[in-house]
Amino acid sequence: MDPNGFLPALLSGGQKAATLSLSLLAVYCVWLGFFKVMEQSGLSAKLSRAVYPLAKRLFRSNDKEAVMLASCNLSANLLGLPGAPTPLGVKATERFCAKGNSYASAMLFVLNATSLQLLPTTVIALRAEYGAGSPADILLPTLIATAVSTLLGALAVRLFVRR
Amino acid sequence: MKYLPLIIPLLFLALFTYALIKRVKLYDCFTDGVKEAIPLVLSLFPYLAAILMLSDLFEQSGLSGYLTNALAPFFRAIGIPPEISKLVLMKPFSGSGSTALLSEILSSYGAESYIGRCACVCYGSSETVFYISAVYFAGVKQKKLFKPVFIALIVNFLTVILGCLLCRLF
Repeated sequence: MDPNGFLPALLSGGQKAATLSLSLLAVYCVWLGFFKVMEQSGLSAKLSRAVYPLAKRLFRSNDKEAVMLASCNLSANLLGLPGAPTPLGVKATERFCAKGNSYASAMLFVLNATSLQLLPTTVIALRAEYGAGSPADILLPTLIATAVSTLLGALAVRLFVRR
Repeated sequence: MKYLPLIIPLLFLALFTYALIKRVKLYDCFTDGVKEAIPLVLSLFPYLAAILMLSDLFEQSGLSGYLTNALAPFFRAIGIPPEISKLVLMKPFSGSGSTALLSEILSSYGAESYIGRCACVCYGSSETVFYISAVYFAGVKQKKLFKPVFIALIVNFLTVILGCLLCRLF
């Protein structure tokens, strides 16, 4: 260990943070624009409504508002909207827990924590940045892994968490 | 596989056509969304900076080498390249931290390499378990967190193993 390396290490870390922030800014410019159009054209709301019947059975809950919040959370997750699922998830968890439905809150948490994202926008953009010839060819393995993890997670909650 | 690169352009085309049919003011709406990019990056920046400084210190001090070496036999035995072990360990704790590590891995090993691809799948198919548990259950008094967190951690770890296997196949 060389004490002379201390400050240069911090500075190079800071520099990397600056460049990474710029590439992330580029990613978000593209996708936040895209998602805004999606929201305004009513597609996001449509997706949430499509998820609702499934969510009702998944969470074993009759609390309409909580299940709607949870379906919005799930659809925002599917789309990979940065930052959007969190406030919805927090509200849905609070409502489920207030009703004593710890099964539903565990299910929602595990689904969120095992990733539902269909389009890994950050990964694709970073791959393009670092010179991948075909940045999107990571989609297939990622999708399979994501689907398996979601199914496994949901199954585990079903088996091990009591209502 | 040949048509995979078409997915993203087609998505944009389909959405924009749909939005035009729905009479959305496309230009205004798109720029409205872009506007949100700057506050989002600003809110992430301090964490990216702190994590990358720590990670560089960790690297420079040689601790990272020890840790990677110590874990290498275990990771290799289950089919995870040891080079991404730091990312696997970081992912449950911090999203911005693992974004930082992913970009480091991609820049040092290349985006097309097996290691780079494994890192991408690992990043894309798991989530920040501890962060989500802290935020989602922050307002709840009686926390029954042990089981859900345990399940999420195990499932995410299995997914990383599966992801690395899939990278060898595709």
